[in-house]
Amino acid sequence: MTTAAWETVIGLETHVQLRTKSKMFCGCATAFGAPPNTQVCPVCLGLPGALPAPNGAAIGLAVRGALALGCTVHPRSIFARKNYFYPDLPKGYQISQFDQPLATSGTLSFVSAERGFVTATIVRLHLEEDAGKSVHDRFPKATAVDLNRSGVPLIEIVSGPDLRSPAEARAYLQTLKQLLEYIGISDCDMEKGSLRVDANVSVRRAGETALNTRTEVKNINAFSFVEKALTVERDRQIALVESGGSVTQQTMLYDSKENTVRPQRSKEESHDYRYFPEPDLPPLVLTPEFVAEQQSELPELPAAKRDRFVAAYALTREHATVVTSSRAVADYYEHVVHAGAEPQAAANWVMTEALADAKDHQEQLRVAPGALAQIIALVKGGTLSNQAAKKVFGEVAAKGGEPRTIAEALGLIQVADSNVVAGWVTDVLGAHAPEVGRYKNGETKLMAFFVGQVMRASKGKADPKLAQRVLEEKLAS
Amino acid sequence: MSDAKAVADRLVKAKRLNALLTPSKDLRKSLAAQEAAARPTGVLYGMPVSVKDNICTLEFTTTCGSRILEGYQSPYEATAVAKLKAAGALIAGKTNCDEFAMGSSTEHSAYGRVLHPLDKTRVPGGSSGGSAALVAAGAVPAALGSETGGSVRQPAAFCGVVGMKPTYGRVSRYGLVAFGSSLDQIGVFGRSVHDAARVLSVISGRDPRDSTCEDRDPLRLPTVPESLQGFVIGLPREYFPAELDPAVRRACERAIRLIKELGAAVREVSLPHTPYAVPTYYVIAPAEASSNLARYDGVRYGPRFNGSADVRSLYRSTRGQGFGAEVRRRIMIGTYVLSAGYYDAYYKRAQQMRALIAQDFRNAFDRGVDLLFTPTVPSPAFKAGEKLSDPIAMYMSDIFTVTANLAGLPAMSLPIGRVKGLPIGGQLIGQAFLEDEMIEAAYALERVVPATEEA
Amino acid sequence: MSVSRDEVLRIAQLAELDVDEDALPELVDNMSRILDYVAQLSAVAANGTVKAFVPGPDAIRFRPDEVNPPPLAFGPAEFAPAFKEGFFVVPKLDQFE
Repeated sequence: MTTAAWETVIGLETHVQLRTKSKMFCGCATAFGAPPNTQVCPVCLGLPGALPAPNGAAIGLAVRGALALGCTVHPRSIFARKNYFYPDLPKGYQISQFDQPLATSGTLSFVSAERGFVTATIVRLHLEEDAGKSVHDRFPKATAVDLNRSGVPLIEIVSGPDLRSPAEARAYLQTLKQLLEYIGISDCDMEKGSLRVDANVSVRRAGETALNTRTEVKNINAFSFVEKALTVERDRQIALVESGGSVTQQTMLYDSKENTVRPQRSKEESHDYRYFPEPDLPPLVLTPEFVAEQQSELPELPAAKRDRFVAAYALTREHATVVTSSRAVADYYEHVVHAGAEPQAAANWVMTEALADAKDHQEQLRVAPGALAQIIALVKGGTLSNQAAKKVFGEVAAKGGEPRTIAEALGLIQVADSNVVAGWVTDVLGAHAPEVGRYKNGETKLMAFFVGQVMRASKGKADPKLAQRVLEEKLAS
Repeated sequence: MSDAKAVADRLVKAKRLNALLTPSKDLRKSLAAQEAAARPTGVLYGMPVSVKDNICTLEFTTTCGSRILEGYQSPYEATAVAKLKAAGALIAGKTNCDEFAMGSSTEHSAYGRVLHPLDKTRVPGGSSGGSAALVAAGAVPAALGSETGGSVRQPAAFCGVVGMKPTYGRVSRYGLVAFGSSLDQIGVFGRSVHDAARVLSVISGRDPRDSTCEDRDPLRLPTVPESLQGFVIGLPREYFPAELDPAVRRACERAIRLIKELGAAVREVSLPHTPYAVPTYYVIAPAEASSNLARYDGVRYGPRFNGSADVRSLYRSTRGQGFGAEVRRRIMIGTYVLSAGYYDAYYKRAQQMRALIAQDFRNAFDRGVDLLFTPTVPSPAFKAGEKLSDPIAMYMSDIFTVTANLAGLPAMSLPIGRVKGLPIGGQLIGQAFLEDEMIEAAYALERVVPATEEA
Repeated sequence: MSVSRDEVLRIAQLAELDVDEDALPELVDNMSRILDYVAQLSAVAANGTVKAFVPGPDAIRFRPDEVNPPPLAFGPAEFAPAFKEGFFVVPKLDQFE
């Protein structure tokens, strides 16, 4: 099988939980981790006689998502019932949106390893409520149902069939996640279930333009499974067609333990959701003022911020991308620069030391921007060697404090006094006469050796650049 | 203490009607406790009000006349019930009704039919037959019912009491078990216009828990007018067809004469889409019902019919056995008209027809008519069993009432005469949110119409 | 526009309703008659410009994002037919997803 002869066509449906305090249609709390069935009420339990009351903040966040994706936000949209039976769907229908959704026609651009800069279409973005959770392995021969999650606000974001590889799907999702985190409308945590994705996958021979039968791939529960699951399904379809078979439209469930997909057997009847406008809810009408308010709440978006960093701080696109990976890091970086640090140096320190430290400490950027700027200045001024500076960074991160004071206390201040350095140089050259001879005969690479010896003699305190200069002077004479 | 006891005694005396689903023991105990807790400053202080069993209460179970909710104790109460209690009223038991409010005779209750208080071989009407019967029997001065297609007005007409349906959105539906969401409203029965209006006023008004409830103050009651001078009453010709029962026609003609004598101008109008009202209703109501009743699946509340090996069997046996034949029929019709390929031809078309029906009313009112007067039902209470074999025959009972539900307009029935002892009702249909005008006219008519006289 | 036995069974499946074999013919007949009756709506010309009429408010009201759920006098443990360790319990789906 040569995948090069085949083109993969992927579209993604992403469900994102909105960061609100209460649920979409009732005032129950949405906090994660509560004991089962304790964040419930008549509405989200689907008790007889209960009615939905829509959450204004959820609507606002959904509009922000739509605006950030460049969608057309419709001033009037309609909630609709999606009817089906499932134990964790208490009303026997989900309140969603169907033919008059909140937003349509947006875009999301991302970088594809194969194709470079790609712009995927966002076909629609709509509001809906989440279902509860079914747990199948807690009781034997039974399913346990927890309705804490029932009614949590979701937006569903549907892309066009614009992705051409499992890797692109991953990149699209990563970019979408970053965007939504940036605008603060969701935690986008796949492990906690606040970001879920289903994929539509089909294959066609390279050069074909028509779309072939697609399957839906579900149960992709972690970011790392996205590419794997789609690769498995793509390969399965290609193998099937190459052996003379044809792809049937069905739902495939990803099994992460086996890294396989298998058809979901139970839903033999095709889904007839019998959508109709939700009679318990009037139309969702957005005033221009409301939409404008959501627009004004949007921060600078990742792409714009990255471009600005490239221009303002003369960073490379790659460095700017890392430094703008999250709003928190980007803001931190800018504070460090505004505290006086040279932008490129600041970028290096943020990308290496700051992010590495954050990774081990719940993403906290522990060194205050002012302190990091100071450390950078100390290195630039020759007071600290790079190595020494990293030690100081570690100390400030763990215990706080003023960098210079800490450097002094740890005896890390570099000696930049040329007389003192000259003393060490003299000692070193004196102790290594054969090497001096060899150097003067042309083995100039021995300079590194001499610098190392000076560093050793000074117990690391000599400014290595100064040491090298003094050595060069002395050896030239 | 004696009031609660007297109330309980009266209700127990009416037991033979099978109108009350609450066991006597529970009723007595609860009424005594409620009386002790009731607010003396409330406008309905001490008034016993029975509540149709499709409205959630904390006192007493809520079965909706169905096996699928047998023994179900709601953990919350309807807003309307809370408002009654806040006004000092006593919740005087739950009344029998057609299962999930689907029916026009209360013969479709899983707990047996309700007897007509004046003739036990006849039906009291439905679906709120139990509430109507209790008020007619003098057991309580007022009762709550619910309307989707006439389920308060029709039994009110059959039983000879006052029955009121508010404008859609006037009374909160939070706690009213949904049947046809865009049609449902809680309605009120009363011995008199005043009793019914008082209760309607108390239960009306804004409720943030119901998104279809309008943000309005509670209904303000009008005073009893001296005359109907200045009122223009319209008579829609489609409601006075040739086939109208002659006694009903006579009673209406007598009432119209009295309306004229009261000083109102009377004018014939036309609501041309009326013939399509019943089929329109029988697409929209079952469609919404099929979805509203999907939650009854044995998972979270109610009994389970059959332990079952897997969850789909649980659904199918619970719903197959827990729902009665009429409910199952309507769920099936509703599912069908919403299903792929049929949505446009049925549901969408019915919603368009609904718009035309609503437009008919607007046209009539725009031409200077204040209220419409019509017979409530084509004929008086029919015999039990008479219309069970043909569902459509039963549906035709709603022919004069469904239009107000489709158009969301306030409407009421008051007794205007008798035929061979059986009550006949006259209907007033008002303009949206102008219940006060409708009640005003009803006050005036009630004073002069010989409600218990043969027509 | 009568409805067939197969269609009735398909609808029963969608609606998760058990239909008794004995009751099926009458159900098919009833449904056919009702559907024929309501089909008279299609006799009226389809007018694309007539907008559906829905009573009630013109637009939803936005509820503030506060944690204040409508009250429950008692929890699911009291009314659920099968409740264990805080969960509703149902027999397992034939093939769970």
